[in-house]
Amino acid sequence: MKARVVEPWLLEPVERFVRESGCRLTLIMTPAGQVLAQYGFTRAVEVMSAAALGAGIAASTGEIVRMLAEPAFQALNHQGASHGIFLGHFDSPRGPLLALVVYGADTSVGLVQLFFEDLVTDLAAAAPPAPPRGPVLAADFERDLNQSLATLFR
Amino acid sequence: MSLVNFTTREITCKIVYYGPGRSGKTTNLQYIYGRVPDDRRGRMVSLATQTDRTLFFDFLPIELGSISGFATRFQLYTVPGQVYYNATRKLVLQGADGVVFVADSQVRQLDENVESLQNLQANLLEQGIDVRTIPVVLQYNKQDLPSDLILAPEELDDQLNFRMVPALGASAVSGKGVFETLRAISERVLRRLSEEQPA
Repeated sequence: MKARVVEPWLLEPVERFVRESGCRLTLIMTPAGQVLAQYGFTRAVEVMSAAALGAGIAASTGEIVRMLAEPAFQALNHQGASHGIFLGHFDSPRGPLLALVVYGADTSVGLVQLFFEDLVTDLAAAAPPAPPRGPVLAADFERDLNQSLATLFR
Repeated sequence: MSLVNFTTREITCKIVYYGPGRSGKTTNLQYIYGRVPDDRRGRMVSLATQTDRTLFFDFLPIELGSISGFATRFQLYTVPGQVYYNATRKLVLQGADGVVFVADSQVRQLDENVESLQNLQANLLEQGIDVRTIPVVLQYNKQDLPSDLILAPEELDDQLNFRMVPALGASAVSGKGVFETLRAISERVLRRLSEEQPA
């Protein structure tokens, strides 16, 4: 399975991280829960649920840390019976990002953390400047929108 | 800010349903979840208390379909309405592309609506967002209640809609106005993508 990425520069660092860490699922997202890259999820809508929950955990943990006047948190880990969940927060040239990683018994949190640090470095090196954004949709998008909504609510 | 993938031609937008406690935000999402075909929606995630009050947020991802050649997805969130959950409301509001303000039409809830709307403006401002620039739609929910208990949409407009944004009467529990609200916020959010250069 290949990683899916929003911009090409994300692909190689993410695939290298997946390969080396031996993880099963990986999500790179913004703090608002917008997915930039993912590996292992089969449905786009499920990956969004995972991103929303991961962003929620990061946001609430960040707030608690702020209330305690501690430096921003770097990573959280939950070790379950058959899966571990690792949530890492890092800065990138494109702003703060989050990585949500699910791993199995065939690897360890130590390896995930080790290669997560490489991932952060690789992403920082690979990130080009953010391209300027112009209008995305055609001015007559309403026709498409109406057709789509008509099939959405039946 | 909406996420645009020019390689795979995908757009993802975040819509937040805001409003006072028990105004019907979760009911809006539950109705949408129940009406949208399985292959066009994900699982609805609700982080709620044991009494089903929203604790952190509800989340429902839906696939709108192809708009101008872009596969378009909306992430629908609700916030907890109760006053003391303001910290979590701020977190959920981060990165929102549009807001649906769900007002409770009951006369006795007017002060709560005003307070929640002011809270929305304050929380947006804290994130550097002017409420005049972000797409907002008002929904006057519970219009199905007896007329002596509620304010008419025109009366609610006078109290809440001083920016003259689209406002729709609704009864979310029966689904009336839910679709129209989603359509209105979709149009405004997507229009922004067709017109301006997001910051």
